[in-house]
Amino acid sequence: MSMVRRSVQYLDERLGTASFARKTLRKVFPDHWSFLLGEIALFALVVLVFTGVFLTFFYTPDARPTIYQGPYEPMQGKEVSAAYESVLRLSFQVRSGLLMRQVHHWAALVFVAAVVVHLCRIFFTGAFRRPREVNWLVGVALLLLAMGEGFTGYSLPDDLLSGIGLRIFYSVVLAIPLVGSWAAYLLFGGEFPAPDIISRLFVFHVMLLPALLLGLVGLHLVILVLQKHTQFPGRGRTERNVVGKRLWPQQTFKSVGLLFVTTAMLAALGGLAQINPIWQYGPYVPFNVTSPAQPDWYIGWLDGALRLAGPWSFDVFGFPVSEMFWPAILFPGIAFGTLTLWPWIERRFNRDQAEHHLLDRPRDAPLRSAVGMAGLWVFFVMFLEGGNDILAVMLNVSVENITRILQAAFVVGPFVVGAATYAICRSLRKSQIHPARATAGVELRRTASGGYETVPLEPTSSE
Amino acid sequence: MAAYGAWSPKEGIVRRTLVPLAAVGLLTVLLWPATGGAAAPGSRRAATAGQDPDAFGRQLYQQSCASCHGPDPAGPSNYSTVPSLKDVGGAAAVDWALRSGRMPWRSTTGPAVRGTPAFDLSETRALSIYVGDRVGDRDIPTVDPSQGDLKRGRDLYAQACAACHGMNGAGSSVGGTDIAPSLQGVDALTVGEAMKIGPRTMPVFRGGEYDAAGVNSIAAYTDTLDKNVDNPGGLPIGGKGPVPEGFVAWLIGLGVLVLFARMIGGRN
Amino acid sequence: MDDEDQQHRQAEGDEPLSLEQRRAARLTAICFVVAILAGVALFVVYFTGGQTQLEGILFALALGGLGIGIVIWGEQLLAAHEVEEDRHEFTVGEESRLALVESFEEETGPLLRHGARRSFLVRLLGGAAGALGLALLLPALSLGPSPGRGLAHTSWRKGRRVVGEDGKPIVFDSLPEDGFLTVFPEGADVNRADSQALLIRVPNGLLELSEEQLAGVPGGTHVAYSKICSHAGCPVGLYRAATRSLICPCHQSQFDVLRGCKPYFGPAARPLPQLPLGVDRDGNLVALGDFSGPVGPAFWHRVKRGRSS
Repeated sequence: MSMVRRSVQYLDERLGTASFARKTLRKVFPDHWSFLLGEIALFALVVLVFTGVFLTFFYTPDARPTIYQGPYEPMQGKEVSAAYESVLRLSFQVRSGLLMRQVHHWAALVFVAAVVVHLCRIFFTGAFRRPREVNWLVGVALLLLAMGEGFTGYSLPDDLLSGIGLRIFYSVVLAIPLVGSWAAYLLFGGEFPAPDIISRLFVFHVMLLPALLLGLVGLHLVILVLQKHTQFPGRGRTERNVVGKRLWPQQTFKSVGLLFVTTAMLAALGGLAQINPIWQYGPYVPFNVTSPAQPDWYIGWLDGALRLAGPWSFDVFGFPVSEMFWPAILFPGIAFGTLTLWPWIERRFNRDQAEHHLLDRPRDAPLRSAVGMAGLWVFFVMFLEGGNDILAVMLNVSVENITRILQAAFVVGPFVVGAATYAICRSLRKSQIHPARATAGVELRRTASGGYETVPLEPTSSE
Repeated sequence: MAAYGAWSPKEGIVRRTLVPLAAVGLLTVLLWPATGGAAAPGSRRAATAGQDPDAFGRQLYQQSCASCHGPDPAGPSNYSTVPSLKDVGGAAAVDWALRSGRMPWRSTTGPAVRGTPAFDLSETRALSIYVGDRVGDRDIPTVDPSQGDLKRGRDLYAQACAACHGMNGAGSSVGGTDIAPSLQGVDALTVGEAMKIGPRTMPVFRGGEYDAAGVNSIAAYTDTLDKNVDNPGGLPIGGKGPVPEGFVAWLIGLGVLVLFARMIGGRN
Repeated sequence: MDDEDQQHRQAEGDEPLSLEQRRAARLTAICFVVAILAGVALFVVYFTGGQTQLEGILFALALGGLGIGIVIWGEQLLAAHEVEEDRHEFTVGEESRLALVESFEEETGPLLRHGARRSFLVRLLGGAAGALGLALLLPALSLGPSPGRGLAHTSWRKGRRVVGEDGKPIVFDSLPEDGFLTVFPEGADVNRADSQALLIRVPNGLLELSEEQLAGVPGGTHVAYSKICSHAGCPVGLYRAATRSLICPCHQSQFDVLRGCKPYFGPAARPLPQLPLGVDRDGNLVALGDFSGPVGPAFWHRVKRGRSS
């Protein structure tokens, strides 16, 4: 008996899995390349978990002071937090330590990027429509969790750059009307710089958020398998079938290949491209600062929003409300609220209650695509503004002018981009024969004036 | 229908002359900034044996500096946009500006940036001493990083310098179009001079914690900023932190992976 | 010949591989060999001390070789046709839903059957659960103290000497003109973030401050402000001596030192509070009181009369 046969027999005798396994292995998954974007995110997450576990063995989640006695000369004899010291030790005195740290950090950046690109694919193809609204909610939650994981993670080494970010986070919480100071004191354990925050971030980063993240990823995949994957319209594809390749062997080989190539890319980045050199930044000291000072890219939009907004503080019955209210509380609330509720917002406009398993091409939903592009533009402007001082140096334009230009782009841009997208979608639809319909050919008609004209025939199928 | 690209003989002659002309025009436009609009730097005439160094300094000054800074260093300059050399920091300021190639100012617009020095060491020395004598500040600091304390230097740097120059010395914007330049690979004397004179928008760091020992220590730290030991993680990608890191993650990290997905996935 | 049939025969070894497939098999083999070699090299690198860049490249080769080899194998050497599967209804319809609701409702005694008594009990149950739920949140309040007055006050007191990071008092006139220094109150733990201040010496006669503000500027030259940005709390470390302005690197707020650190560009809305200074008998700089307002970013609080916030 072959190995495969023996394992199947062993497991089936004990777990009764044979028929379920057969059904699963024969499942058909559509084959478009854009359906692999979510897998890239998943594989980056796998790398994060593996490297993360390794890092956890070496990290000390304690802000208590200790004396650095390692090989990095400029810091020798200096009093630093135990957390910072442990990350320095991992980077300089543990074999493969720096590699694992850098792979972990690059994987985080690529993970969130892949999630965003995957979300765009879902959005622009309308894959969130019924019956997939629940999975859309799970996905948006995953995006927020991913950003939270990243923020808590890069704040753990207690270095100068991330410490500045924590100070800003504290201030944002303070700015919440009514309960801000209570919330900040509760979260951090007192007035800034409350040293408790390091160990609390550790609990979030290693226990609470990963539990939620991995649980929701599991749910995300289970719902996907239950509902079966969507597919683009095309020959032979209807709302009632799935056309593609089987899980075994085609999709397995593809996915496993992608898994290894993703980890290969992250290993290459982790070894060749330096990231977050905390020994250069030094430990967090509350009265020190470095420039340029930005957070990791997935928080960069918030940094940009804070730079973009003006000094618009106001009073409510004499109680001050910080100018940060607009960029840090109102804007993210509206943006992510809209994102979360989008399936229902869209339904209100097009009253489409039907089940959809065939995807839209972006041009098929001009309004949705226009709103999506306008939203992407807004975030893009925020990202640029987040790096406004770096842009100023690169382009030899004053920092102030960069901000003014981007403020104008923020106000005017969404309308311009939205209108342009709408127009492009409409014209693309008009000029090309719709690929969703099987073409029935063209008819050559004689006009009344004696010339000829071609008219595309209406397809006979209803999809 | 005539084939595209077919030229009649007359058009051929026009094309043959226009294209080289256009090329020359394009090259001129591209290379114009390098010629600079201002007066060319002074001729390099070595001090002949026995020539009075003061006279040599004055001669160099009149040739290269007086047209903007005025005939007398201690007097007013010739233009309102050019500072008088009276209170820019004396000999140390001149030495700093000349050795870094910022002066003579080669462009007509924008802040003076580092460049190739126009003068050799003896000329620089002569000019510094001449101007220093005239304005009453001959002092050029002596900076010896080996006398400094590296750890104390790092702390002082973090407190005084990092806000503008960055903890890793990569430099940053300081408002408007002004830039705190990179300190990676900059020599210790330049660091000491800049601290003493506070050039352009930079404040003055002198006395108290920034005495000779303090300057030596800071210079000891800035000396480490260029060494490889600070970049064991690989390519520093500009050393400007998470912004370039984000670009690399998107364009290289995710970009390559998306291209790979396009290769192995299907199309419509 | 039928595609599946051909694949089957090839699997059994009867059918010869096409030229393309043989090339693919060769490529796959090369990829796997690269992976093996890289794996072995990794052992060598690790046990000879390790090197980050080499390890990264070798891991990339090992993983990439494996991945690309598998992809080529999958693409070229497996069946490439598409299959179709029915999307059967996973919601089984109205009948089973009714049955589910029924099984929820059956076997219920008088107290659970639908009616006024059940609604009353259910409401009480809700109330109990709510009270318990809120009470369960109480231990979370132990995570932090109540804010108290900590946000509005720092360690500066009248008469407290101004010291540098090294703890040494700052003597009046020791700072050069256009120089600046980060200072702290003597005795306070230097890491007490909220007391950090910037001492700046400006040339005489340039400050444009009110009478009250000027009273805290010894010699009309030595002025001190909180270093904590009134926008989001970063240390405002960039001093532009030429324009006598402070810039915060976090969000590029700019403050005019000569006019009481009023913000003139950027998102900050409030000036940096001033630390009034005086000179004691020994010529050292001392504080004349706490900052002129709460330091740092705005927060919801009752604004005391007379204190700028």
